[in-house]
Amino acid sequence: MHTGVNGEVLKIENLSFSYEKKDQVLKDINLTAYSGESIGVIGANGIGKTTLMKLLVGLNTDFEGVLEVAGHPMNQKNIAHIREHIGYVFQDSDSQLFLSTIEDDVAFGPRNYGLSEEEVEKRVEEALAKVHITELRHKQTYKLSGGEKKLASIATILSMKPDIIIMDEPSIALDPRNRRNLIGILNEIDSLKIITSHDLDFILDTCERCVLLDEGRIIADGRSEKILMDKELLEAHGLELPLSAGCRYKQNIDNVQG
Amino acid sequence: MSKIEKNIRELNKLQNLQQRSHWMNDLHPLGKLLLSVIYIFITVSFGKYSLAPLIIMAIYPIFGFIIGELSIKEGLYRMRLILPLVVFVGIFNPFFDRQVMFYIGGSGGQTGIPVTEGIISMVTLMLKGFYSVLSAYILIATTSIDDICYALRILHVPKQIVIVIMLIYRYFGVMAAEADRITTAYKLRAPKQNGIHYKAWGTLVGQWLLRSMDRAEDVYESMLLRGFKGDFIMKKQKTRPIDIIYPLIWTIAFIVIRHVLIRFL
Repeated sequence: MHTGVNGEVLKIENLSFSYEKKDQVLKDINLTAYSGESIGVIGANGIGKTTLMKLLVGLNTDFEGVLEVAGHPMNQKNIAHIREHIGYVFQDSDSQLFLSTIEDDVAFGPRNYGLSEEEVEKRVEEALAKVHITELRHKQTYKLSGGEKKLASIATILSMKPDIIIMDEPSIALDPRNRRNLIGILNEIDSLKIITSHDLDFILDTCERCVLLDEGRIIADGRSEKILMDKELLEAHGLELPLSAGCRYKQNIDNVQG
Repeated sequence: MSKIEKNIRELNKLQNLQQRSHWMNDLHPLGKLLLSVIYIFITVSFGKYSLAPLIIMAIYPIFGFIIGELSIKEGLYRMRLILPLVVFVGIFNPFFDRQVMFYIGGSGGQTGIPVTEGIISMVTLMLKGFYSVLSAYILIATTSIDDICYALRILHVPKQIVIVIMLIYRYFGVMAAEADRITTAYKLRAPKQNGIHYKAWGTLVGQWLLRSMDRAEDVYESMLLRGFKGDFIMKKQKTRPIDIIYPLIWTIAFIVIRHVLIRFL
């Protein structure tokens, strides 16, 4: 595991970003994350969640401020090295899976990093086992269901053994069983996980820490149970209580009234 | 089912063929690629009146289809765009080359039906084209595009060309899927129209290109984020004795037909 001076895997200081100079999408973002943490990034549509995620993986380096991944400052010189430490799971699995079979797709990353064929083989086996889809190894990607595609996408990242895994809306379009399965699998992964989602129940089940974004700024950063139970805070920033928290909230009110 | 969806299904069916478990699929791609090239090269090298030895050359596509368990019907259906061109080649030869070569039938002072050199050369040209198309089909039905590209790289074909072939193949699926979504969305809101109204073509094509570019960019970003540096690193495939014996036997057979059997026919 590669970390910064104080053991942080990800360090963001005063990060600002704009696509066009007058319109800042992200303003003064400060965030430090440590190995093994699981962080949910939440916020209404169009407040810069995906932009922030894309900055973290170096798909855009025209930002202001400090962004360090695994102790390396994000810049064009370090970008290839940094990407060895980060895995990004796209919202749309079809963008992630572009080779003929699952096996080829999962092996794509390790092969690009020059690992021996024995090591690639080992990594493919491990990654598929971690997401419980070993039996799909030789299956063609277009034949997979939505849930299987999502798990295969995660396997393509796990095979690179990243220090940080970033996931954009992982629970989208999954049925309840696949969603539950994904929660179990994510909770077994011990890398630093950063998950953006509008599915706040999903965040509650997978992330112990939560960051609320609005208008390009971090509004709240703390324990998920605390932020996701704060009805006023969520509603003030275009969100609603998660369904499970909503039930508990209603029960509490009923108890007080009763 | 829309035409585009049908074509996507056709492409998927072809991928199924490429991925199935069969000894011909498992052969080393380099051997299969070279064998196809050699077959096409020898087939087209026959003289324009060498019909008899050319008919014997059918042994390779016949073997490929029977032993490779490929459906000739599906093969011809998938090649339906190219086959008319093959038929068209040489169609004017009978008009230019009218020298009579032999007569069919005829007895008791009657001369029979004359067969001119033009007819023979037309049939020869058609057979050459037909065989070439069938051998190419055998290759693509038993070898994935990744494996073909792998073989091309072994042959030192410049990586830029190989990558372009691979990416065209990848993005073809992306673009076809986008086209299908757009046309389906249009048809569902214009149920009484037969096809797409010409006034909507510009907008739809523009949308199609923009969306395809977006999707293609996502795919490319996904590749970059997994260490893609401008070259596909492919799994090295081991060479077994059969990978050498199979193309070698066929090559010898082609040479025998081309240079030895031709003398007796």
